[in-house]
Amino acid sequence: MTLSAMPGLPVRKARKARGPVRLVLERLGFLIAAMFGVVTLSFLLVSVTPGDPARLIAGPMASNSQVEAISQELGLDKPIVERYVDYMGGLLRGDLGESYYSKRPVTTEIFEKLPATLELIILAVLFAAVVGIAFGAIAAYFRGRAPDWISRLFTGVFQAIPDFFLGLLLIYVVFFLLGWAPAPAGQIGFTESTPPKVTGFIPIDALIAGDPALAGSALQHLVLPVLTLGLVYAAYFAKTARATLGRALHSQQVFFARAMGLPERTVLRYALVESRTTIVTYAGVIFASLLGGEAIVERVFAWDGLGAWALQGILRLDVPVVQGMVLIAGAITLITYTLLDIVVGLLDPRIKHA
Amino acid sequence: MHDDVFAPRRGVQMRRMLRQHPGAALGVLFILVLLLASLFAPLPYDPMGIDGGATLRSPGGEHWFGTDGAGGDIFSRVIYAARVDLSLALAGTVLSLVVGVLLGLAASSKGKGSERLVRGLDAFQAFPLLILALALVSLSGNKLYMVVVAIALINVPRFMRLLRSEVLSLRESRFIEAATATGASPRRIIFRHLLPNVWGIVLVQTSLTVANAIVVIASLSFLGIGVSPPTPSWGSMIRDGAGNMSSGEWWIAGFAGLAVVLCVLAFNQLADAIGDRTARTYR
Amino acid sequence: MNAQSEELALEVRNLAVSIKTPHGLVHPVKGVDLTVHKGEIVGIVGESGCGKSTTIKGLLRLLPANSTVTADKAQLAGYGDLLATPVRRMREVRGAKIGFVAQNPFGSLNPIYKIERQFYELQKAHKTKVSRKESGEIALRMLDGVGIVNPARVLDGYAHQLSGGMAQRVVIALATTLSPQLLIADEPTTGLDATVQAQILDLISGLVRQEGRSMVLVTHDLGVIAQYCQRVVVMYDGQVVEHGSVMDVMVEPQHPYTQRLIASVPKPGEKLDVSR
Repeated sequence: MTLSAMPGLPVRKARKARGPVRLVLERLGFLIAAMFGVVTLSFLLVSVTPGDPARLIAGPMASNSQVEAISQELGLDKPIVERYVDYMGGLLRGDLGESYYSKRPVTTEIFEKLPATLELIILAVLFAAVVGIAFGAIAAYFRGRAPDWISRLFTGVFQAIPDFFLGLLLIYVVFFLLGWAPAPAGQIGFTESTPPKVTGFIPIDALIAGDPALAGSALQHLVLPVLTLGLVYAAYFAKTARATLGRALHSQQVFFARAMGLPERTVLRYALVESRTTIVTYAGVIFASLLGGEAIVERVFAWDGLGAWALQGILRLDVPVVQGMVLIAGAITLITYTLLDIVVGLLDPRIKHA
Repeated sequence: MHDDVFAPRRGVQMRRMLRQHPGAALGVLFILVLLLASLFAPLPYDPMGIDGGATLRSPGGEHWFGTDGAGGDIFSRVIYAARVDLSLALAGTVLSLVVGVLLGLAASSKGKGSERLVRGLDAFQAFPLLILALALVSLSGNKLYMVVVAIALINVPRFMRLLRSEVLSLRESRFIEAATATGASPRRIIFRHLLPNVWGIVLVQTSLTVANAIVVIASLSFLGIGVSPPTPSWGSMIRDGAGNMSSGEWWIAGFAGLAVVLCVLAFNQLADAIGDRTARTYR
Repeated sequence: MNAQSEELALEVRNLAVSIKTPHGLVHPVKGVDLTVHKGEIVGIVGESGCGKSTTIKGLLRLLPANSTVTADKAQLAGYGDLLATPVRRMREVRGAKIGFVAQNPFGSLNPIYKIERQFYELQKAHKTKVSRKESGEIALRMLDGVGIVNPARVLDGYAHQLSGGMAQRVVIALATTLSPQLLIADEPTTGLDATVQAQILDLISGLVRQEGRSMVLVTHDLGVIAQYCQRVVVMYDGQVVEHGSVMDVMVEPQHPYTQRLIASVPKPGEKLDVSR
């Protein structure tokens, strides 16, 4: 999805360093407050809305008494305040409730699905960063000339394609026409079985189990979804990289570096290090927004990850699953942002020493 | 530039902008033609109709864009879908614009409270908004007006943030100081001095919001949420044709997807053009 | 004062710059002559936008790709004609043959790399082989030479930790590391405190005199010209309107623009005319 990577992103500003302990405490406090707010919000959102999960679970043929029985079993007949208190109480004990359908704890399912999503997102962000920064750098360096126009044309087009549609196009071209990628049906082939779980990442687990063929197949299955997300987000990367690098290339320090006779290679590096904090921040923001943002792409490729799991939960009104997803995505996002602040501080001496 | 001194009428400005940005001009033309065609043009087939004798026809003379698995004419459906898709997108954008601008203005004080509010917005935007939007529409029983609300849920914070930062920086500027010093009322300052100056970037954001809304609507109906069959929408057509992509019948999802891409491109181009114009006039 | 010889350090004849813009061709510099003798400091003075900086950037071939620089002659002593040199070979000139000091020293230094690294990159760019240690020793000597009290600490720090004056000293040290015979200083004291300005100009002119170098000093401050330069070039609207020894130009300005320029400098004991 191209939702949160559009203009209007939360831009992280360099803040002056205060006492490190106080800073961390403040961050933690804000993190907890934000989580609390989001849990409450998601609870209200999914509890007050008029859809009736019990009726959906019972099916269209069920009698009213059957629906009531299910409603009672799920605790949906209790007043909303009581349900909220129950939910928050469970949350404090690390209990996110059970799925209405699978009857398994939501936390268990989250940890089961998380690796598949993480491997997808991490590879996609890496691909997007490498390709996007390269294109953005070329565009910035040759601003206003042919390479810039070409790069911007690609950027504009890929920014306009919804990721799930791009996924389908890639399936048509790369799988159907060219036959270069395996069928878009999950992490491994139909005839293969998942390796014994160690890390949860199938390619790694397959290697651990001593099955390089399976690991290879798992990697092949990664190609199309990673390419889909990677291309869309590479476009966003390119746009940001072009803007920030363009600014850096016109900065006085770059002019001075040229006036000192440094080779263009070094000059470009000078510009890159000046803009690297912005680009790293952007990578973090994209990583966070991909969590949940890639749900539809997971569905397109029958990827058994967190996003597809949450989508299914939404379509089936499986309230604890939806809340669990919102919560875990929010938590990972906030943790990412906190880590970003630290990394940016390390990369930019002006922040560390200020 | 000397011609800006005389501040030509809006219409003239608009025409000049479109001349300098042929992409935006083409985009606006495309949207207008599409919208008019979907409303008034006689379509070759009934967009809701099915024809068991003509399923999965490839694009050709009889069915320009081919037919889907139920024999529906893709061309008629793609054009007709613009009705519901574009009007929902515009409705969602208008709601985001109005609510976002009002809340943004309200949050544009420099107090601690407004600072906290923005931190809260940051945190809110950190969450998977698509998931929230999907949940909102799905759990409320697939009401169309909830699609509009979902679009606003995603875009209102963006308008707020944009307006706030712009107004805060304008507040520092000399001419607002001067207006305050001459004793202009807060209302006068907001409506006579602030709003006219943020109008440009609000327009940019509005155009981007339409583009975003089109994608959100397509995503929702791709998942079977929001617009329900048999009313054709681009998202649901892509959903219908998704499975056919791996067996080679690209046109079912292809043309609907192309419609989405072209609309998004058009509004992004328009945003670029307005942004350029704004940068030159105000900065 | 007349330490300079008749030997030329830089001779520029009829330098012109044209830039292609969406609104057509513009000519920010039209036929500028500039002669710098060895051991001499030549000032270029004029209001902002008169083409002083563009002239300098044009000589160094540092203008953006949409611009063209032409001249009948741009002879640099000990090198050759600057404009006859292909742009890609200009790198050998910059930094090594011509040292450059820009305004706003904070902007000139890389904000992310340590100062020591910036000395290293400079030397690596111009010498075939230089070790980190050697470069560090040279840097230490250079910083010492520009009057920095604790050079080791400065080398191990970043640009933002320096004061404006210190940063400009570092820039001057960088500009002279490879002992170029010609220095170009483009408003080197803009943005610095008034007290620091004099220190920096003293330092820079001292360095020029000591080593028998030459310098082109771009400024809009006639006071600076009078104090530090031997000859001056007055620019207006991309052209040289007057040139000659500082004495002649200051005492008997020929061109109306120069006359106004000199009249605009407030003199001690004179009543300020604010009626205009």
